[in-house]
Amino acid sequence: MSNKSLFIKSGFVRAPLQNGVGRYVCQLQRIVLKFCKSHGGSRGIRDFIEQDLVDFAKNSPGTVVYLKPRRHRSPVIVAEYLNGDRVWMSVHQKTHSEITKWIENLRTQQGDVAATRLRKYQYTDHPSIQGPWTPFTFKDPELNTAVLPDPKFGANNRLPVSATEKLRLLFEKQKLSDVQTAE
Amino acid sequence: MVFLSVVNFIRCRGPDEIWRKRKIFKIASHFIGRRRNCYSVAVRNVHRALVYGSKARYLKKDDMKNLWDTRITAACEQHNITAYTLREGLDRANIMLDRKSLSDLASWEPRTFESLAAVAKEKLRLDGFIDTTDKNEPTGRDLDLSNIFLNGLKETK
Repeated sequence: MSNKSLFIKSGFVRAPLQNGVGRYVCQLQRIVLKFCKSHGGSRGIRDFIEQDLVDFAKNSPGTVVYLKPRRHRSPVIVAEYLNGDRVWMSVHQKTHSEITKWIENLRTQQGDVAATRLRKYQYTDHPSIQGPWTPFTFKDPELNTAVLPDPKFGANNRLPVSATEKLRLLFEKQKLSDVQTAE
Repeated sequence: MVFLSVVNFIRCRGPDEIWRKRKIFKIASHFIGRRRNCYSVAVRNVHRALVYGSKARYLKKDDMKNLWDTRITAACEQHNITAYTLREGLDRANIMLDRKSLSDLASWEPRTFESLAAVAKEKLRLDGFIDTTDKNEPTGRDLDLSNIFLNGLKETK
């Protein structure tokens, strides 16, 4: 199952215009609550409207709340965001507490989050503090002004370990192991 | 004459054929040619694609581990030590960094990686452990071990 067959847009973890770094702007533009005044499936949303709607409207001054009482229609919430996304959610047979949580979720998200597949779960503008590695990070800066061929930089001193050195190291290792076995 | 048994000769398939096939075609939407349009071709290729997808979960982990190992080894070569020395030294110094973190540090924070390499080398020197393969590829700069105090911490306790 590859991501190409999912037909979902992909994106990275981003906040629109660094929202929250300075001032926070609520991204929910308008929220429409469509419900029936008498049908049983709208009970949860009717309870929400009677008890919590005014507080919600007061606490989110940048969001416009519309109510659409429609007979014989199942209850629905439609949320529209500043980036143009439109989220349609059926709240048929949902309880008052569930609807409160869903509306809080809609209020705090920045668009239709479910419609975006996150490519990575992290994002940073500054992945490196010390500067990323380059081939010149650990090279002698005198190379910049050196005139090649240079006897210092062309010296044959990057030799792998010689046979004498190998024997010496083996001897050192044997000494250490003798000391350890003695202990 | 009324032909009653002729009606029974008509075979009709199940009512859910469209939905059954739609599930397959949705997965095969990005395939090439008949594989995305013809059911019998598509179903074989969809099954193979799903098998590849399941097997690849283990392969991806292996590939990432290999990539990290390559990067750590390359970073160690810049400092004239081996990956074995680095791992052994960090283990003894109780620095538990996994391959992913080490390779990220090596790519994005090279000075931090240099310090870790120096810590590892110094710890092994204090422990009297000799890795004979460290000197095989001296293509980098030798580490400066003068600023590392590993025994000092023990003495203050």
